[in-house]
Amino acid sequence: MEIEVRAVAKLRESPAAQAVLSPIVEALCSSPADLSRLRVVCDWIQYRSNFREPVTCRPVLAAVPPAGPPGSPPAESPPGSAGESCLEVAVDLRRLAGADAAALVASALAARAGAGGGGGRERPSPAQIMLEPWVPGRMSCIWRFNTLYWQALSHWEKATGREYEQALPGGESDARNAGAARELILELFSIWDDLAARRALPGELYVLEIGVGNGSQARTWLDAFAELDRSHGRDYYRRLHYLMGDYSAHVLERARQAVAHHGGHVSALVLEATRPAVTLGFLAGKTFLVYMSNVYDNLPTDEVACIHGRMYRVEVRAFIRAGDAERIAGRFGTTAGQLCSLTDRLLRIGPELMSESLPQHFADTGQAVSFWQEVWDAIRLAERYVPLEGLDTYRVAPSLTGEILRPLLEAEGDVRMHVSNGALSSFAGTLPLLHPFGRVVCHDLFLTGRHQYRTGFCGPGKYDGSVVNWVNGPLLQLLASRRGFGVQFSPFRQRPSANVKTLTAQVRD
Amino acid sequence: MPGNVSEPQVLLPTTVVGSYPVPEWLGRLKTEYYQRRISAQHLGEIHDVVIKAAIKDQELAGIDIVSDGELRRDNDIGYFLARIPGIHIPQRAKADYYDYYDAEVTRPLPEEDGASLGLAADFAFTRQQTHRPVKFSFTGPFSLSRRIRDSAYPSTGGLVRALARRLNAEARSLARAGATLLQIDEPFLAGYREHAGLAIEAVNIVTDGVGVTWALHVCYGNRYARPSWEGHYDFLFPAVKAAHVDQLVLEFARKGLDDLRLLREHSWDRSLGLGVIDVKSAQVETPGLVASRIRRALGYVPAERLMINPDCGLRHLPPEIARQKLRAMVAGTALVRAEITRPPGGGRGSGTRRLPAAAARSGPGAGTGSPGDGTGAAPAAAAPPGEPAAPPARRPAARARASQHA
Repeated sequence: MEIEVRAVAKLRESPAAQAVLSPIVEALCSSPADLSRLRVVCDWIQYRSNFREPVTCRPVLAAVPPAGPPGSPPAESPPGSAGESCLEVAVDLRRLAGADAAALVASALAARAGAGGGGGRERPSPAQIMLEPWVPGRMSCIWRFNTLYWQALSHWEKATGREYEQALPGGESDARNAGAARELILELFSIWDDLAARRALPGELYVLEIGVGNGSQARTWLDAFAELDRSHGRDYYRRLHYLMGDYSAHVLERARQAVAHHGGHVSALVLEATRPAVTLGFLAGKTFLVYMSNVYDNLPTDEVACIHGRMYRVEVRAFIRAGDAERIAGRFGTTAGQLCSLTDRLLRIGPELMSESLPQHFADTGQAVSFWQEVWDAIRLAERYVPLEGLDTYRVAPSLTGEILRPLLEAEGDVRMHVSNGALSSFAGTLPLLHPFGRVVCHDLFLTGRHQYRTGFCGPGKYDGSVVNWVNGPLLQLLASRRGFGVQFSPFRQRPSANVKTLTAQVRD
Repeated sequence: MPGNVSEPQVLLPTTVVGSYPVPEWLGRLKTEYYQRRISAQHLGEIHDVVIKAAIKDQELAGIDIVSDGELRRDNDIGYFLARIPGIHIPQRAKADYYDYYDAEVTRPLPEEDGASLGLAADFAFTRQQTHRPVKFSFTGPFSLSRRIRDSAYPSTGGLVRALARRLNAEARSLARAGATLLQIDEPFLAGYREHAGLAIEAVNIVTDGVGVTWALHVCYGNRYARPSWEGHYDFLFPAVKAAHVDQLVLEFARKGLDDLRLLREHSWDRSLGLGVIDVKSAQVETPGLVASRIRRALGYVPAERLMINPDCGLRHLPPEIARQKLRAMVAGTALVRAEITRPPGGGRGSGTRRLPAAAARSGPGAGTGSPGDGTGAAPAAAAPPGEPAAPPARRPAARARASQHA
């Protein structure tokens, strides 16, 4: 048996966290589990709202489960001695502190054994209502919830009575920093002056912001630009095109109003952040600044792990505890068994049409939003590890195979980390947009060193109605390096102690 | 038999700039070497095999003047710096083979020490693999100097000239090994336009006394398939007119043909290597598009002084895309050749100038224009790939100019 405590800082700081370890070991020793094939990982999940149970069992499969007939969900894995190489018990120290840890561990192991952990085919647990088959993390329905959040944000905000920014830590986006904006603008002026002297300055000067939020960053930046340009005297403002891109038309409209006084210098585009080139191909090689704030942490991701030297992909399955399902179903006049199809319908058509098409369950849009919020709050993720047979067979992003992961996985030994597929795809699609003297500036929740996967929990968590994962900074750094860009991380200037870091990417060499 | 070859004898000869695609698997193997996980001997054998394949690809595409694809090189700089005596590279292991070294010079470079960079051996291997004329390229002294931290020379020019003298010695070795077409690449020059005069002075040091056809390639950079610089070729003129070279090899496909005017304005009277293939785009040009670019260039440079090539090296393109692009280039060139040699009244086969078989040769797919582009004509007489080019109709001899400079 091995025990990995990732919450190393909390373990030192928290006597309650320390006190939990001993009961966990005692509970495991008292169980019939094969201790030689057991590993325990202890996290400290900082997100109050998350997808984890305090104790979870995760089978580590010995082989890729056989695919079922076309169109059918993937076959259940045969857990236990035949199909599992080992079992991982995942513990949230924060929630176990003060609880009966031994009982919770014993209960989780018993439930696992009851689900077929003894060696036969896995049986669905009556304690859980499954919302999907086993899928890679980025394919989970939690990302459909995330999409719905941004598409139907106005309904969500109406129901909660607050704008989404207020749900962020600190109550506002990280995007407002006039000082940093002025610094960036003056650097741009310097580059442009130099290019102009060499007759190499393009006629149109493009700046792109992806994920504009409520437009406060754009407004801060453009106001500063206009003011600095007046004193600089080169008339760059006349040539400036500020493009605002966002997935949410609702958010984009709000941003557009915020910068309306800049008139024709601003264009607003609905775009999919993971595929910027689809909308912005015309900017290839032309953009002097791409600005992003808190976009990457909200894009779909898989997780991969190296366990005992073998590589695995983490598969997940969203479920709702039976008790929660009964409660939600009762409130909306349905049954727990119908919850899965109702949820799927909500994710397909949104709350407005939901209430129109099913008035017997949802009297109005507000009722449908309440259903949405309750299901979202109740969703948990079961996890398992499936062997990754060849990194090159794993398509990380449209233009990337899993080979990009190899240097990190090989360097780190046994580790579990995010692939940040959406962020990688977005970043890979953004770099070609840059002018040779352009740069990407991105504020986000970045891990800046590989070791951080050993020392903390990096998601997923729930931010209001959206998903948050810390972004694999070293992987972005590696990708950029392979494409001729250098990436640097620095503390976020506005709040240096914040978890948010600033990524800057520009041409290397 | 391979190695017994003469100059290309065709009008509008097709060639490459130098590098050939490095597939992901080859990149990984190269990186394995730089991380000391495979031996230099094994990597050398791998390189031998891929160079043979690259040459075969070019032959099948119908390229008249082929190269080794620069496949032995880690990048356009490191391969040379690692071999030049006196250049200190503290860390030779790399995270990725394509990374540049961190190199420095703390004392003036040793000279006349008889040391070799090994380029002649590289050329000799390539020469043995093909009947076709071979272009051999190497990075010029100015661009090499840009990747060296210099604390040995009082001015930029000192290091550049010293590098040029080292390259001159290497060029002499290449000529002795049988090289007849050498190309100096200056991919960094566009970023340092104020140094154009120095770069040309250094080019002349490299070419001094070496009686081959010399080409000078200046582009806007092709690192990771991205341009490193933007602008126009006006910075080259008039300085480049003083260069002792026979051909100027420039990129036009990606940037457009506007800078062709510079050749007329500055009375460039030597050959032009016309870039007709955008190596930074995976979109394959049609033969018709290639032909249209050549036709426009003919308004500025006579056919006798025009070479047809991609904008730059093909290194970053997927191999199959590169092959398709080369085939399109050959087919597009064939279209224009046919127009030029057609007699005034038209009529098949009654041209006043006979095209040699090599000129008409095209590989699989060549001459099969894309649907709708109206360029589907295929050359009539296709010789089997790998066969020697038949009857030479002499291209105006660039060699004469080389001798004149020599």
